[in-house]
Amino acid sequence: MFATSTQKSHWIFSDEETLIKIREDTNKFYVDRFRPPDVEDIGDFFLTATEERSLLHFYEYQLKDFCMKFQPPMSKAVIGTAFSYFKRFFLYNSVMDYHPKEILVTCVYLACKIEEFNVTIAQFVANVRGDRVKAQEIILNNELLLMSAVKFHLTVHNPYRPVEGFLIDLKTRHPILEAENLRPYIDEFLDKVLMTDVPLMYAPAQIALASVLEAARKCREHLDVYVTSILITDEEMLQSVVDAIRTIRLMVRVKNYEPPSRDTVKALEKKLEKCRNQENNPDSTIYKTRMMEELLEEDERTQQDYSTTLAEQRMHFARLIMESKH
Amino acid sequence: MDDNLACPRCKTTKYRNPSLKLMVNTCGHALCDNCVELLFVKGSGACPECNIPLRRSGFRIQLFEDPVVEKEVDIRRRVLRDFTKQESDFPNLREYNDYLEQLETIIFNLVNNIDIIETNKQIEQYKKENKDQITKSRARKPTEILLLEAIIEEENRRSEFRQRESLTSAKEEKLRKQKNHEALIDDLMFLESDAKSIVESHKQAHQTETAAAETKSATAYQSSHLVGNSNLTSNFPSSSGASGAPAPFQQATTFTSGIGFGGSATFLPVPKGLGEVPLFVYKPLVLLIGGPDPPTLEELKYPSSSSSTFLQHIRAASEGEIAGGYHHSIACRRALQDAFMDIAMQPKLLKNRQLFKETELDEGEMVLGKEGDVEMDTS
Repeated sequence: MFATSTQKSHWIFSDEETLIKIREDTNKFYVDRFRPPDVEDIGDFFLTATEERSLLHFYEYQLKDFCMKFQPPMSKAVIGTAFSYFKRFFLYNSVMDYHPKEILVTCVYLACKIEEFNVTIAQFVANVRGDRVKAQEIILNNELLLMSAVKFHLTVHNPYRPVEGFLIDLKTRHPILEAENLRPYIDEFLDKVLMTDVPLMYAPAQIALASVLEAARKCREHLDVYVTSILITDEEMLQSVVDAIRTIRLMVRVKNYEPPSRDTVKALEKKLEKCRNQENNPDSTIYKTRMMEELLEEDERTQQDYSTTLAEQRMHFARLIMESKH
Repeated sequence: MDDNLACPRCKTTKYRNPSLKLMVNTCGHALCDNCVELLFVKGSGACPECNIPLRRSGFRIQLFEDPVVEKEVDIRRRVLRDFTKQESDFPNLREYNDYLEQLETIIFNLVNNIDIIETNKQIEQYKKENKDQITKSRARKPTEILLLEAIIEEENRRSEFRQRESLTSAKEEKLRKQKNHEALIDDLMFLESDAKSIVESHKQAHQTETAAAETKSATAYQSSHLVGNSNLTSNFPSSSGASGAPAPFQQATTFTSGIGFGGSATFLPVPKGLGEVPLFVYKPLVLLIGGPDPPTLEELKYPSSSSSTFLQHIRAASEGEIAGGYHHSIACRRALQDAFMDIAMQPKLLKNRQLFKETELDEGEMVLGKEGDVEMDTS
């Protein structure tokens, strides 16, 4: 039930400004943490919040692609849940801290488990391009991190079941309309919704109703009678429903669905490669030495060690900034 | 296990001598019956282990595996002969419990040889103080035994009655059969009608008769059983011919080992402090839909009008699924409920979230109860 869920209590935000604010704070937090103290002008060494956003936008396409091509084919609920995890994760975590391509697969893997879509890790990594052993390691390493980043709020309410509910209701109480004809348009709308911030702002039932109404509009059908006199009879309730639907449709319509161009992505990736947290980069020397240390010392890593790696990173960044200036 | 049973003196085991019997005396040390015979030819002697003088007549067959238990049983029996107070003899539970505790301390001391002299003195003192009470209770004991005897007698009587009844019914049956047979022969001799039809009609009559007799005996058996079940609490009905019905039987107050237990009450009263704790009050869960009410399961299964048949539009459950407890109305209801849930939610009215980091996560945020302040926009 959505009404008592953690999704409603923790992951529904009042408006887009709030979301933007949170993302900016997250970005600022990362930059403040790793900013080299002795370098005055850092220029555009770190990614900005907007740049993070467009990079994430690109990876959302990747995520969708990955899910669509996945073998065996997965249900919509898995995709929806994976998207939710991805959005939630990068709300409070910077792209520079954790690389989206690693979090992406982990999100899908976790969503498979939560939505009871049973695939083994071997089956799963068969869908990943590149080094599969490494991919497996990354996924399993990040799984717990992802879970704690979404505060262990693993149940996600997707709009797919509410859509079924509305279709049943339409067939029963508004039989003039051929409800099954709406399906392709509904799916199209919901796919677009995944790319937006709508799931972080509205209840799944509202998204579902918006998709049904949008589909009806495309079929040149009228559902106003259904909404205003069959579904909702309370005047006040109707007003808030109509407001919500309007905003959702607006958000979906305004959104630019073109993925960022290859060149921009390439430039951003290059920048990210420099400024990302090397501690979380499995290819970096810092990561490797830390892993070795952990292997040797087990749990004896102290706060002091942590601050030395932080200083190390800052130095590393300072060097890179200097290099870029010359 | 049993084969390892051995006499501590001659080391004979149950395995080597299957008829081995271990005996114990008041000191709690075991001896096999052969050794007892050998050592106590004169009628008395010392225990080979603790040198306490013992009488041969004091030996009993060991009932428990651990001879110390045997010793405790012995001592308990002896002490309980004098300490016979019941709960009704005390003004309140507290004093009765103190008395029981004192009693147990005495028995424990005697069993473990702690302060034997002191404890014996205590017993003597108690005996002196409660002389007439003890004699009174000595007199009371036989009544309990009488009661038991009465019960046994009653049981005997009942089985006798049952036997007699079955005998008479068998006799009756035999008589009836004989009579039927004679009637058949008579009819065949003197009636003019077809012999076959006469035999047929007799057979039918016989069948109905036996059926009736059977039901009768069945009810008789049932009633005797009922009586048998209630024998512990009620007197035997006078129709059985029993005379001088015994007093109703009380709950058993002795173990099979012959030791009395409990007083008249077997359960302790409920502790008084319980009332001070606030009792749990059940509050039914309220489902916040935040939208129009979806139809209930009953409404889905039994629609009031033919126009509201939601179930037509969902895959019907197979027989196997129904046997497993699933019905398609459940899926239908869930879809509808999910569709209507929080449909009128206004995100602006929800409380704004603050930016947090995993490290700054305070516990309060995790507590679901705190979500009470989330504004609902329903009605």
